[in-house]
Amino acid sequence: MEGLDPLIHAPTRLQLVTSLSAVSEAEFATMRSVLGVSDSVLSKHVSALVDAGYLHSRKGVHAGRRTTWIGLTDVGSKALRDHVVALRRLIDVLD
Amino acid sequence: MLSNMESNSARNDPDEPRTALASADQARHRLTTGLRLPAGFHPALATAVAVQLGAAAWGIAAQTVTGLVVVLAGLVVFVAVVGILLHRFRRINGVRVDGLASQIALMAQSPASLVYLAALAAGTWAGFASQWWVAAATAVAGGAGCAFGTRTWWHAYRHDPAAHARGASPRVLGASAVLASLAFAALLLVG
Repeated sequence: MEGLDPLIHAPTRLQLVTSLSAVSEAEFATMRSVLGVSDSVLSKHVSALVDAGYLHSRKGVHAGRRTTWIGLTDVGSKALRDHVVALRRLIDVLD
Repeated sequence: MLSNMESNSARNDPDEPRTALASADQARHRLTTGLRLPAGFHPALATAVAVQLGAAAWGIAAQTVTGLVVVLAGLVVFVAVVGILLHRFRRINGVRVDGLASQIALMAQSPASLVYLAALAAGTWAGFASQWWVAAATAVAGGAGCAFGTRTWWHAYRHDPAAHARGASPRVLGASAVLASLAFAALLLVG
């Protein structure tokens, strides 16, 4: 189906980018808790999406400890919009 | 990377893309419903705006260097309170929402900005007319109106977070504060 983005089609990645569309930046541990995944799983997804330019990440401090903040880039935001449109179109076609 | 098997499966079963979208929406819902404003957020914001409006009304009406210093002091109080509130929000929730920062620092929502400008204009007029109780009342009303506007924005954000999350970044807000300070410093030097 045209428009489906393989980089964010996996459920965890779609949940990650959709959740990040609601904020400007989120702390890594916050997203881990929201998605209910392990550090290593989330880290792999974040790395892949950062490499693709869909997410940005930076080191920071939260509650006095070093942590990583992640956010959706404009490229990621557009990819999410296009992917959601493609999924809805797919549902319409298959219904 | 999505495997071919997953792609083919998604193309055949309408429930799969529906479930994917629903799960993504649920994850976003979990994140946003867990967000909390710091305790005393609205009263602190209303007070900071009222102090800033009151200081501006008195300072502008005074037409002196002391008046400009008072205006600047009011701005410093406002910026400090906004900075603390945003820092506490980030610390409590583990997220940054630039839309919230724009809303409270720049009164980005048009009703709140209209309330602010009306209160500033009325307060300044009252200051020139030496109607100090009117100036105080407009400052309090302006603060309450801006806090109410922020409350309304917060409800709208909770209802549709993706549409309200974006706003001025911390860099833009910081640059705005520096520019405002430089402008007032220039006025002080000229005065």
